[in-house]
Amino acid sequence: MNRKIVPGCIMFILSLIIAIGSTTFLRPCVHDDGSVGACWWAGKALLGLGCLLAVLSVLTILSERARFGIYLSGTAVSLLGILTPGTIISLCSMSSMRCRAVMQPAMIILFAAAGLVSLTGMFFCAKP
Amino acid sequence: MKAFSLSLKNLIRKPGRTAMLSLLTAFLALSVFGGSVIVLSLRAGLQSLEARLGADIILVPSEAQSRISFQNMLLQGTSGAFYMDASVMDKAMDVPGVEKAAPQTFLASLKADCCSVKIQVIGIDPSRDFTVQPWIARSLTGALGDMDVVVGCKVEAGIGEIIRIYEQRCKVVARLEPTGTGLDTAVYCNMDTMNTLLAAAEAKGVSHKISSGDDSVVSAVYIKVRDGYDIDTVNTALTGKLRKVTAVRTRSMITGVSDSLAGISRTVTIMIVVIWALAFMILFLAYILIVRERSREFAVLRLIGASRNMLGRMALIESAICGLIGGFTGIGLASIGVFAFSALIESSLGLPYLIPDISTILLLAAGTMMLSIVVSALASAFAAWRLSRVNPGTALREGC
Repeated sequence: MNRKIVPGCIMFILSLIIAIGSTTFLRPCVHDDGSVGACWWAGKALLGLGCLLAVLSVLTILSERARFGIYLSGTAVSLLGILTPGTIISLCSMSSMRCRAVMQPAMIILFAAAGLVSLTGMFFCAKP
Repeated sequence: MKAFSLSLKNLIRKPGRTAMLSLLTAFLALSVFGGSVIVLSLRAGLQSLEARLGADIILVPSEAQSRISFQNMLLQGTSGAFYMDASVMDKAMDVPGVEKAAPQTFLASLKADCCSVKIQVIGIDPSRDFTVQPWIARSLTGALGDMDVVVGCKVEAGIGEIIRIYEQRCKVVARLEPTGTGLDTAVYCNMDTMNTLLAAAEAKGVSHKISSGDDSVVSAVYIKVRDGYDIDTVNTALTGKLRKVTAVRTRSMITGVSDSLAGISRTVTIMIVVIWALAFMILFLAYILIVRERSREFAVLRLIGASRNMLGRMALIESAICGLIGGFTGIGLASIGVFAFSALIESSLGLPYLIPDISTILLLAAGTMMLSIVVSALASAFAAWRLSRVNPGTALREGC
């Protein structure tokens, strides 16, 4: 397999985990009274970013000419994903709540991994 | 021809083999470092709980749920609200052996429009308190004023910020240091503030089975036993004198937590030992097979001038480098798991959990790294010894 598309494949797997996880095992808090807090919107934003990352990773596999630029975009999206829970969109006030205990650290780790993979892809594309 | 540079080149030339050997060592490092951090955090949490309780005996209402609710509040931070008549305090002070008695009143807020956050509110009497004040004094200079609150470290509210509790605006004047107990999610105020909040809760229709503004109720009384008196004797006297009240020995609460900690510690130790034994066996066999597969390579090295000792050293250096890489990887992965998800681990265990300070963690990491390198080298020691006995002629002829 062409080593330039391997990072794209790994990024695709990570983006699927992010997208599916944001609505299942890595979902934000559900309050007892059925109301939603700020963390719910953070979950939705992460779902969107995960889907975007999935599309970008498919494009890295299909497109040869723009591969470096798509990896660069993937890096930027990953950075946005790291900043979304807690910084761009606030979360619940207690650090023991699900959004802070599970969703935030897991998403930061997944997006950081996707960012590193994107950077690796950029490196492979830049080399002759 | 140097053993170290040759070993390094061998490892770089075979990245797959190097990765597999490093991965095995990474499992060892991950289990030791991760398991040790968890056990040390539990121990630190237990010590913190012991120090934080401060009292010898705690009086709570005798309803069956009160004691459980109180214990859960301390260990897991779950909200609780139960009440008894405040005259319990004066009666307790009359019992021989009681040196101090400090009341606390609890109130649980809601996660609803009325409140910024669902928290445990604890009202204290600053003139009598001897358990919470020393902790508050570390973060707050001066008295705790009306509608001022001191928050635990897990409440995400900054100093100067206003939080709403039953539509009452309370100003955060200090944040407490982490204790690893359920009290990290609590908010402390004086009794006047507590009475205001209780009245506000009643107005919101949240009944706590007391009259609004009624200052003749408390939730718990912390008792300090005078020196020279037996705590069990005082405990018995309190139980006999006070009706509808349960006297809880803090020692028994700590013993319960300590027993749970010992069980977890034992389980973690057994897991680490099993993982290490398996990984060591696999590494041992792997190095023997690798040396056997590379016997021709080593025979050629012998022919061009490498000594027997050098071949042995090469094998040890290669295994040590694999141990180093595996150690870094294992410690890194364990750190991500243990520190990033510390809140999840704490809530899953349901025990006091306080991550050790940075110096302890660095020492632990260094120790784990040394252990990884030593064990990796030991696993290859037999293979290295066999290597030093390689007969070049035989090895080249037979290819084995």
